[in-house]
Amino acid sequence: MVMSADPHVENKTVLKRSITVKQLYFYVVGDVLGSGIYVLVGLVAAAVGGAFWMAFLAGVAIATVTGLAYAELVTKYPQAAGASLYINKAFRSPVLTFFITICMLSANMAAVGSLSAGFVRYLGGLIGLPEDAIWGAALLAVAFVVLITIVNLIGITESVVANVIMTFIEISGLVIVVIIGVIALVEGVNDPSVLLQFSPDGGGGPILAVLAGVSLAFFAMTGFENAANVAEETLDPSRAYPRALIGGMVTAGIVYVLVSIAAALAVPIETLAGNTLLEVIEADLFFIPASIMLVVFGIIAMIAISNTALVTVVAQSRILFGMARENVVPAVFAKVHPTRRSPYVALLFGAAIVAALLVIGAAIRTSQAGIPVDEQLDIVDRLATITVVFLLFIYALVIVACLKLRGKDETADTYRANTVLLILGIIGNLAVLVYTLIDDPDALFWVAGLLAVGVVLYLFQNFFGKKKPDLAAAARVSGDVERSATEPPPADKEP
Amino acid sequence: MHVIVATDGSRASLVGARQFKWIADSREITDVTVLAVVSPYAAAPFANELGEQSVKPFSELSFSDDAKAAVDIVAAEFDGWGPTIHKEVRSGSPAQEIIRAAEDLDADLISMASGSRGLSRTILLGSTASRVQHSAPCPVLVCRPTTHSERATS
Repeated sequence: MVMSADPHVENKTVLKRSITVKQLYFYVVGDVLGSGIYVLVGLVAAAVGGAFWMAFLAGVAIATVTGLAYAELVTKYPQAAGASLYINKAFRSPVLTFFITICMLSANMAAVGSLSAGFVRYLGGLIGLPEDAIWGAALLAVAFVVLITIVNLIGITESVVANVIMTFIEISGLVIVVIIGVIALVEGVNDPSVLLQFSPDGGGGPILAVLAGVSLAFFAMTGFENAANVAEETLDPSRAYPRALIGGMVTAGIVYVLVSIAAALAVPIETLAGNTLLEVIEADLFFIPASIMLVVFGIIAMIAISNTALVTVVAQSRILFGMARENVVPAVFAKVHPTRRSPYVALLFGAAIVAALLVIGAAIRTSQAGIPVDEQLDIVDRLATITVVFLLFIYALVIVACLKLRGKDETADTYRANTVLLILGIIGNLAVLVYTLIDDPDALFWVAGLLAVGVVLYLFQNFFGKKKPDLAAAARVSGDVERSATEPPPADKEP
Repeated sequence: MHVIVATDGSRASLVGARQFKWIADSREITDVTVLAVVSPYAAAPFANELGEQSVKPFSELSFSDDAKAAVDIVAAEFDGWGPTIHKEVRSGSPAQEIIRAAEDLDADLISMASGSRGLSRTILLGSTASRVQHSAPCPVLVCRPTTHSERATS
């Protein structure tokens, strides 16, 4: 560290944090709301039946309890690394920390894949893409991934104002659905008893039917953990986090339950099953004609999905960037663009993996042409399930870490979550995890595939990377600053 | 005269700081504030490429520490130069925060480096430097290393 002995140099650095409770709240709401309901509502409805709002309620409850654990941990350790940091503090096991980091990376990649495929469902509805155009849809999804990667390369996601505007747009779409639900209720479109109906093909009774929907509904709640990434820049984190996290998730939960009730009231479950919220608009109950509303709502949905996808890509590239700084994966992932200051190698690599997932999905779908539609791979469903598998595991472990770290590093300001709720949260997360894996064991292949990417990067670094990073860094130290004066800065080497 | 010297952790910003020192007359300057901005929502909130690249576990990642380290290194350039040196790390959108700092400190000059050249300048929209000079409350010195300045500062 360069420290000055000059009396004219003040040794204290003034640190100005910028994120307020309100901004953090909007960050949580925006991040959570975009992710699932637009993409997954049809799949959840198909799994549960008319009572699918219960699946969203259960998902919200489990996620909010997890949010409590995050709120407690973030007030103790207001640093940027989130789950990896907490697991490291609690278990002190480098292998486990590495594994959790790779899980988080994989979860983010699968989530971006699911969101892009969901984006294309809305875009396809707008441009009239035929439903059996597997490769056309895959190509559009890849193009979407490329686009959000470019936006992140340029780095225009930094704006707080843009974030608030995006969140309002996301909410506006869902408010439209709720209004349609109220109109449907008044006009008596569907019998309100549909809200207590369970899908007949589940066969296992209400609890199993809800459980079948929870894992997908849970995808709609993910994203709140990204709030931990901005802990360093948040004003008064011990007050801001409990409020923003819980407030944001309860807001999202209320919106979700209302939207799913509205959707169930407005259209028959058979129509909704496997489709998007566009079906609700198509019922033409709103006071603006459906032909106009379909376009408006489609655009709102696409903006909402893009917002969440952008934040997820940021989280994903940041994990790779951080791991490269740690010398766990090749150092090239820590490279930032000279002007835009974005980690372009990490961003491009992440995009390549997500594109590969989408292409593999399309290839499997093509090979399934002969089998019934119900049994064909649904890429949105599959990638959302994989995300949820990773996250449920991480969330359960974070709550365990929270309990394990009780009594450590506590100050008078530390927020303390309710212990009984936390234990229920662990049980809830694990129950959904186990059910998801029993219900969809094929997801494990994808999980293994994504984990393999992380392990390959680690092995690559181990065999070909700098073996003694500390020594190499030490050798560079003194020469570095002097040399840069005579050498042109790296910016000059650009084409 | 109060001058803000901005750094984004890049080599270009360090060379730019030297260039500013070479151009400016230290007798006219009373205060220099070395400023770095962390952008919390960006993919890489701060990337410090100056000085010792410490290998830190991912879990200990601290972008404001990285920003502080970069500020320390740039501030060390002004050791014994004369003016009082202040150090500040802000968070938010870089261009906006540099302008806000200039307003808060009632600065008379902002000095910053522009790394954008060639392809990235045409494709990747405007750089932080061009946004700052567009709405700064004071003159802006955009440093760009030249062969002459490099000979003089090395």
